[in-house]
Amino acid sequence: MSRTDSPDSPSTTSFPDSRESSGFGDRLRGWRPAVAMAARNLRRNRVRTALAVLGVCIGVLAVAALGIFGNVLALGADDAIGDIGTQVVVSPNADAGIDSLSDADVAAVRRAVGEPAVVPLYSDNAVVAGPSEQEFATVYGVEEPGLAFEAAEGRLPERHRRGAIVGASVAEELGVGPGDTVEIAGSQVRVVAVLVESQTFSPVAPDDAVFLPESAFSAEGYGQALVVAESGEGARDAADAIREEVNAREERVDLFELAAIVDEINEFFGLLSTFLLGLGAISLVVAGVSILNVMLMSTVERRQEIGVMRAVGVARRDVLRVLLSEAGLIGAAGAAAGTVLTVLLVAGLVLATPEVDAALALDPTNGYYLLLALGFGVGVGLVSGAYPAWKAANERPVEALRN
Amino acid sequence: MYSVELRGTTKRYPGGGAEPVVALDDVDFAVEPGEFVAVVGPSGSGKSTLLNVLGLLDDPTEGMRLLDGTDVTSLSVAERTAARKESIGFVFQDFHLLPTLTAVENVALPTAFDPGDASHRAADLLSRFGLGDRLDHEPSELSGGQKQRVAIARSLINEPAVLLADEPTGNLDTETGESILAEFERVKEEGVAVVAVTHDPLVEQYADRVVELTDGVLVGGVPDGEGKAERERASRPDPETASAGDR
Repeated sequence: MSRTDSPDSPSTTSFPDSRESSGFGDRLRGWRPAVAMAARNLRRNRVRTALAVLGVCIGVLAVAALGIFGNVLALGADDAIGDIGTQVVVSPNADAGIDSLSDADVAAVRRAVGEPAVVPLYSDNAVVAGPSEQEFATVYGVEEPGLAFEAAEGRLPERHRRGAIVGASVAEELGVGPGDTVEIAGSQVRVVAVLVESQTFSPVAPDDAVFLPESAFSAEGYGQALVVAESGEGARDAADAIREEVNAREERVDLFELAAIVDEINEFFGLLSTFLLGLGAISLVVAGVSILNVMLMSTVERRQEIGVMRAVGVARRDVLRVLLSEAGLIGAAGAAAGTVLTVLLVAGLVLATPEVDAALALDPTNGYYLLLALGFGVGVGLVSGAYPAWKAANERPVEALRN
Repeated sequence: MYSVELRGTTKRYPGGGAEPVVALDDVDFAVEPGEFVAVVGPSGSGKSTLLNVLGLLDDPTEGMRLLDGTDVTSLSVAERTAARKESIGFVFQDFHLLPTLTAVENVALPTAFDPGDASHRAADLLSRFGLGDRLDHEPSELSGGQKQRVAIARSLINEPAVLLADEPTGNLDTETGESILAEFERVKEEGVAVVAVTHDPLVEQYADRVVELTDGVLVGGVPDGEGKAERERASRPDPETASAGDR
């Protein structure tokens, strides 16, 4: 080895500022040795590292699992009540002395809502008898059942002229299907279709009803009318329009608007999700504190080592990188483990409880909670590591080296 | 031109009382390239402070500091770090190797975060110090003398102007200490100025020049009598300088 600079070089030699770096590539390259060194430092005290990783793992598990549970609840609720949000039930306002909806009322409702289908219903109650059983059921008169209902068996006629359409519960109770005959209020009627079991609560309660043609009813006016919109938004608009136009002069009709309830239910589940997420976040904060503790302890223990690095010319920035990498690695390892555990936990939950629909657990929005928790885990590591790293990197080497 | 030089340098620390502690008092000190200087003196005389100021670990309160002819009296923290890496090698009493790194990695530590791989250079240096078969050993697998050789190799990785040693033989037995001092001989033959702070008479035997620090006052700091102390007693012969050629 020999000194290469000539001994009489002028005194203009300047020492380059090692903090200067050009470009993203350089900055990235600087991290590689830092991460390698950090990994070795973490291996030095395996138990302590493992415990810190476990802390983050539990935190991430809490955030991700609780977030996903909340989401699955909200999705499940949405699934269950989603359909009714698209319906508005219009009924006569009994308080104003109106007993039924006239053709004029129905026409007014149609004009007001525009696009959405309006299905007026006559209604009555009657005993419905099958071959062996009989049941007390609501009997509706409907002309266009296809606008509001779906058939599970048989086919819904475009115009309901003859026969009975039977709700799912009634059909099951009486043991009848399309082609069978039921007796309604003394007359024999052939069953033309059985409705799909409704997933939702609705004041019309189609499961427990039988739908006959309008001609079967001799009543003066309709008992109620269903407004069937494409979306919750459409239902809300329709309800607003009816309030403004049909009820403009006189409160002729009552509205049972499910969209508003759906909104409130969704709001509640949103709140529940946030609450659960917050609960999980607390454990992640605890994990952050444990990383802070681990990093502070290890930087204090390694004070001299860090002083030596600084003395032999390792820049503050690089010391900072090594220590931040250590905290980041703890965070990343914990977050990865926590994410895997969450996936296993959710899978176990789906397998163990048949009530939870697998489709809900596989919903892509749940992935968002996984990513969120993963990001939080790494972030908690970096944030908790920042202070100890900064403190250690900025200590004067002459102090750190002092025995 | 000196490898490292202090001119009229004073270092004061805020002490416990009203009076600050004067660790270095108007010190003139210079080392030529390839010169081995031993700094001796009782505990608390300011030897460590002298080494810290020379090594750019601490700044002087007053006076001037030059490294290879460049004024490095007041540099920013980052500039000082860069200058230490480029021009100064450190050897400590406790070796101060990083326990998680192998011998080669310890030697390459100063350049670990730079682009390029210095491990070949590090391995060459270790081979030169007789540790060619210990390249991938961790410090815990090395003897004291081997550790100190690794530390010397580390100090030389960037071909420094100055090697500063703080009690380099302090934790070694006499025989190992001598072998380490022999390594210093080889280092200085390559044009590196070596400054060792020591209590060990053995180090004094190997040094070209021995200077004594007492209560922050340095005697014989400059080789050819340019310093103030020398100017004051210019007529007298300087025993330290005279003995410079002996070893």
